[in-house]
Amino acid sequence: MSMGSNGEHALESRLLKTGSERLALLGKHADVLMQAYTRDEVPLESLSDSALRKLLAARILWRPDEQSGVKLAPKVRELIAEMLADETRRHVNADVAETLELIRALVHSYREARSRGEHWRLEQQLMRLRQEVDDLNGRFADAIDSLWQRLNSDFGFVSQLNDKIRENDRAQKQIARLLDGLALIDFDELIELVGSDGSLRKLLISQLQQQLSNHYTGLREVQRRLIELMARFRKQQARSRLISGMAAFMREHPGFVPGNYARRSEVPVLVNQAAPLSAAAAPALDRNLDSRLLAELLHQLPQPRHTTQTVEAAAPAQAQESSLAAARQQALKQDVEHFYMSVIDQPQAEPVSALEYLRESPLEWPDEIWLFQVISEYQGLPRSDQKAFRLKQQESQASQFNHLRLIHDVELQLAV
Amino acid sequence: MIEHGPLLERLLAGEFVCPISDESGYRHLTNEETREEIDTYLRPLNRRLASNEDGSVYFLAWRQLNDNARDQLSRQLGDTLNSLLPLLEWLQLVQEALGRDTLAAPGDVLKPAEFSAKCEDNQSLRERLERLATDSFFGSQSDQLDAQVKQVFKRLKEHGYLLQPHSERQVFVVTGKIDYLVDLVRFIRDEENLPIEEGSEEGSGSQEALL
Repeated sequence: MSMGSNGEHALESRLLKTGSERLALLGKHADVLMQAYTRDEVPLESLSDSALRKLLAARILWRPDEQSGVKLAPKVRELIAEMLADETRRHVNADVAETLELIRALVHSYREARSRGEHWRLEQQLMRLRQEVDDLNGRFADAIDSLWQRLNSDFGFVSQLNDKIRENDRAQKQIARLLDGLALIDFDELIELVGSDGSLRKLLISQLQQQLSNHYTGLREVQRRLIELMARFRKQQARSRLISGMAAFMREHPGFVPGNYARRSEVPVLVNQAAPLSAAAAPALDRNLDSRLLAELLHQLPQPRHTTQTVEAAAPAQAQESSLAAARQQALKQDVEHFYMSVIDQPQAEPVSALEYLRESPLEWPDEIWLFQVISEYQGLPRSDQKAFRLKQQESQASQFNHLRLIHDVELQLAV
Repeated sequence: MIEHGPLLERLLAGEFVCPISDESGYRHLTNEETREEIDTYLRPLNRRLASNEDGSVYFLAWRQLNDNARDQLSRQLGDTLNSLLPLLEWLQLVQEALGRDTLAAPGDVLKPAEFSAKCEDNQSLRERLERLATDSFFGSQSDQLDAQVKQVFKRLKEHGYLLQPHSERQVFVVTGKIDYLVDLVRFIRDEENLPIEEGSEEGSGSQEALL
């Protein structure tokens, strides 16, 4: 036991030692590491071989592959970014206050120089003022630019939704600080400060006001977009959690049955989904104009081929007999339908004899069966469609002793 | 009205119209006047236009809830509930297999081949897919991974959750009906007071504590 705790103690002190040594490395090579941060690659010329070895061993630097240069380890890069982000945020505010202080001082010496007629000093002060104003502008512009970049990449530099949400939050705080910084600039005070001097007025009032108002609009726009994006992130996160939560709940409670919302007096919108209804339509022959068009369309249809063989082949052996009969019946029906189409096609709506049609065609149906099907097809039509045709039966009495009549043929004609 | 014919047919057939499933139809439906016109047309059919809360998907609802309509709705609700767990599990499986940290959303492109490949490499995903595919809702009879994935995608397409823009290409797009499904889940959670968190901050909180 005592050996064990001694061992632990030794381990702990070794960890502490290595840890502090490695942290010290960061401080010792701070300049080089910061150069690596800004340039992407470590400037090897400013590092000794042993220093490079130590930094690689401490995993502060790494070499992604043989060909590429030495880079900052991603974790270290993140750490620096983290520290710098905070720093810049804290500084924008202080910087504005400081810059304003400097501007006030410069304006005072400028006026002093003017009242003393020191033209050279006057020029000097004006130039410095210009630089300060440009600098202030540049800082805001850079900050806004970087915000847009992060926004437009959808915070692509972090992959997890949680990290995106955190980055977004951080960016929103940065905007708040930048806006605070802008609010420090009080134009009433500046107007009073510059008095009636035209050059100062132009620089510190009209020009600066214009620029700052652009920054302000820019910041508000980024802010709006960030909030929108945040709402989207949050919504995605919420959906994900809702679905996994419900799935887990249903797995744990297999017998779960929610209320029957359809029986409520007020049925909830989401549940009220009407039954499907198909807007069916069939060819109708009750309009003359349409009949012609339909006839044309039917003509353009490819002739269906009678594939009785395939039906036969696909059917189980014992059902062959009945399916063969069904197939024959189907073929007969189709042939009769073709006959009806040819009637529709008659240019002067002339009557067509069913038997004549049969003889002229390659079809081989017995006359009786053929006539029977032509008549039953007519009887099977809806009444409205029946009216489109005229079916005339050529018949004779079978004998003088009863009223049995024999049908010799039928003529079918379009009713015009 | 005639210009909305195809749109009406889709709606009457029970389809959900979203920007993915019918872009121009959906655009027409965002116009209030068109919606009113369609509603008037649907009146004798005892139907009206309905949408989910954010209006990301439109469908037809009964106008008057007579007994027949209620019977039909009850049956339909039963079907939906039976298919709910398999659908939710599929959503989770997609999210995990493709390494995403968000749920499949309208417009997302899904490729069965990619999905198969991910499941092939991972025994646990493979097993979950197997269980899911052979569930009665998806109804796969096969023990082959590719055939199972194909069947799952086919069923999702039939149910309108996925769209296949080119019938000869195995690429699918998630439709707005997914939004409807998520809304329905949220509705059931709220109605039944189920202990399911949605907006909790635990994820980010615990990670921040680690820093």
